[in-house]
Amino acid sequence: MVGIVLVSHSLELARGLADLASQVAGADVKVEPAGGGPDGKLGTNGDAVREAIARADSGQGVVVLADLGSSILTVRHLLQGKANGHVRLVDAPFVEGAVAAAVMSSAGQSLEDVARAAEDARGVSKF
Amino acid sequence: MPAVSASSESTVALPAGVALHARPAATFVKTALRFRSRLTVGSDGKVADAKSILAVLALGAIGGTVLRLSAEGDDAPDAVAALSSCVSGLVE
Repeated sequence: MVGIVLVSHSLELARGLADLASQVAGADVKVEPAGGGPDGKLGTNGDAVREAIARADSGQGVVVLADLGSSILTVRHLLQGKANGHVRLVDAPFVEGAVAAAVMSSAGQSLEDVARAAEDARGVSKF
Repeated sequence: MPAVSASSESTVALPAGVALHARPAATFVKTALRFRSRLTVGSDGKVADAKSILAVLALGAIGGTVLRLSAEGDDAPDAVAALSSCVSGLVE
């Protein structure tokens, strides 16, 4: 299954969203949080993101969602020079994209389809 | 030659007390994703892509709601039958 990594400035936000996505999609899909700075405060931390990607990766690829600004820069910096497409940073709404990606992954869909489901989340009305 | 295409339609009620949210919605979407056909689910005047968890959640369908299932594609009848039995068997 495609792994999902959630990068946030807040560890609580990343963990809470990972719980929510796993609750909806089921426990089979790996949803790994990476949040907060190296000092445990709000911020981003490249090492935590790298470790989360490694935990999420079971060979079928990893989709990474990030909350805002420097979270995205941190992921981009990590992925620089590793553009083999196996780890994909997607431009998606954080909550909706994570849930959509987790459900697609749990249904055994490809990296391409999981990434697209996350990005398409932007266009889906909530009610 | 155009591919052989079929369409199929059916209605089914959500079990009492089971809303199409969170886990039940994911179970429904995962069933839909097993088929090639284009699948929609309608409720209360709204129609959603049955393969999109966010669209299915947005229906806000509560227990007892009658859902209209539609399929277009070469496996349409099988898809509607599978979705219909999935809905009947949903639990919270």
